[in-house]
Amino acid sequence: MEEKHKMGIFSTLISVVIAFAIVLVLFYGLNHLIMGMQGLPLNVDLTPAG
Amino acid sequence: MMHSKFAKLFPMSLLLMLLFLGITAPVQATDPGTGSVADRIAPVGQVQLTGEPPLETESEVAAVEESVEPRAAPTPSRSDYPDIGVSSRAIVWVLAQLHLFFGALVLAVPLFVLIIELVGLFTGDERYDDMAHEFMKISLTGFSITAILGGSLALVLFLLYPDFMAYMMRVFGAQWLVYAGLFFFESFFLYTYYYGWNAFRYGNRKWVHLSLGLMLNASGLTIMVLANSWATFMMAPSGVNEVGAVVGNIWEVMKGPLWNPINLHRFIANIAFGGAVVGAYAAFKFLSSSDPEKRAHYDWMGYTSNFIAILAFLPLPFAGYWLMAEIYAYSQQMGITAMGGILAWLFIVQAVLIGTILLAGNFYLWAGMSRTDGSERYKWLVKFIALVLVVTFLIWVTPHSLILSASEISQLGGSHHHILGPLGIMPAKNIAVNLMLIVTFLSFQLYRRSDKVATVRWAPAGNALMVAIYVVAIANIIFLGVYYGYFTNTVYKVGSSVAQVASTLVVIISGIVIDTLMFRNAKILPSHWGRIPDRAQYALFALPIAFTWLMGLMGYVRSSVKTHWHVYTVMKDNSPDNFIPTIAYAGNMITIVTVLFLLCVLFMFWVANLSGTRQVKPAAEGGAA
Repeated sequence: MEEKHKMGIFSTLISVVIAFAIVLVLFYGLNHLIMGMQGLPLNVDLTPAG
Repeated sequence: MMHSKFAKLFPMSLLLMLLFLGITAPVQATDPGTGSVADRIAPVGQVQLTGEPPLETESEVAAVEESVEPRAAPTPSRSDYPDIGVSSRAIVWVLAQLHLFFGALVLAVPLFVLIIELVGLFTGDERYDDMAHEFMKISLTGFSITAILGGSLALVLFLLYPDFMAYMMRVFGAQWLVYAGLFFFESFFLYTYYYGWNAFRYGNRKWVHLSLGLMLNASGLTIMVLANSWATFMMAPSGVNEVGAVVGNIWEVMKGPLWNPINLHRFIANIAFGGAVVGAYAAFKFLSSSDPEKRAHYDWMGYTSNFIAILAFLPLPFAGYWLMAEIYAYSQQMGITAMGGILAWLFIVQAVLIGTILLAGNFYLWAGMSRTDGSERYKWLVKFIALVLVVTFLIWVTPHSLILSASEISQLGGSHHHILGPLGIMPAKNIAVNLMLIVTFLSFQLYRRSDKVATVRWAPAGNALMVAIYVVAIANIIFLGVYYGYFTNTVYKVGSSVAQVASTLVVIISGIVIDTLMFRNAKILPSHWGRIPDRAQYALFALPIAFTWLMGLMGYVRSSVKTHWHVYTVMKDNSPDNFIPTIAYAGNMITIVTVLFLLCVLFMFWVANLSGTRQVKPAAEGGAA
């Protein structure tokens, strides 16, 4: 039972980490897209380019 | 089947009739009279008759037309303005603002009534249809009040500002007639939509009824956009030259740079405002009912009204931001007058009102969670949402330039507070408003989830995704606001606000999509309509009051931003009131108009109740046979 509980927590943790990773990439891309559409390019580190 | 045939034949018949009239009407029998052939046929075309003088050629006609000077806007002097012993501006202000309040209400209510009626049709739940009918009943008197106020406003404008109105008549021309004509259509569709509710209730007739509602909304919206063009023309004139002479067609005059931003802003704001006003009715009926069934009904009505009000309220700051951006793009001076100069403090007052609206709306949702037992899972989050709302509200109301005496300025070392000053500029406000909207949506989402238990296998992953979206979106909004707002140049600062809005929209859209998918075939927990503390209804009273005052305030800003112009840079205001009134004066005026509006709304609700009241016939006296 305790083993199952530990596995449950582990899989939840994995889900959360993967979810955060996906969402971070999503918002990173969103920033580049929205700023780029306005003629305001960004560097990889999100600083203003040019 | 008969009704279907009628529904198919009617539009065709109407089209044929219109075609017939369109062809035959211009063909008018002329009286042959006793004139000569030349008199009868010469005006029709370029017919040169033998022995007659040569006709004018097209270039000669054009030359004659060119020599006619286009008329500039009038330049009335002080004495040209009628003096009736009281401030003309105050009279017009009261009538115009009241007209706008009621106009907003009667345009908005049919919008969401139609949608609720559609929901009732698709779900088969007659309660939606009954509620939609009741919303229309409440607002019916409002149409008459709107017309009375509009007529009074027109009379007062012609009386007190004759030169200005003559100019506006000249610029907009036949558009005024189109506006007047639309009221015939709106009245027709209003009366058939409302009084035909039960006659066109089921089957194909229901579609006829919905079409009437659609046409009611179409005429109402057209009325609104036509009237909006007058206001936006006064702020940012188009289709005229620098002296106000009309050089474009009516479309160019109407479609100025501010027209569509105001159309969008007023469209959304009207819905929010209408929801808030009918919510107050539901709250009153809830508190005054002791029958559990009626309390349940009005509790549900209040929830629906609040839902409409807050849902429409969420995109409103973005529409307002677009409007302000267009004002800045049109005239930097006007933009600075609005938000960087004399009217800037009004946006702090606006922040107070919007904070009130969001706090009241959220409080109502939290109180409403007591309707379901499943809400216990989420109640622990409420205090954190409240904390975020309060902190962001405080940031939003923090001013930049303080009202200080000379000695206070020297004590402080400037007119800005060295710690709180940076919270007074737009990047901080943008962070605050986006976070307020996100946590308001969270309150919504929690409320919607509280009577459901997800049964899909991927529910834990879906929840993890939702949590990640909230956390990263909030972090992104703060990052965008702080970094681009304080550490880069102005262009990136302004551009980052669009990315903030996009982040908020990602939260809202993904929340709706994820919940829709995740709660398919969910286990539904029992919901007890009517099981809500009475104090929550007072939140529904606070909403329309704050909304009304806010609309009055923003109307004052919109009108004052033209400073001493009737039509900005084109027709100067030379009246005795050609100055921006003080905030204190404006505050009193807005309060007076708000109180008058609320009294009229109470009358409107009373009339709605009166129509359902029936006096009991008194018993016969004595033993009369």
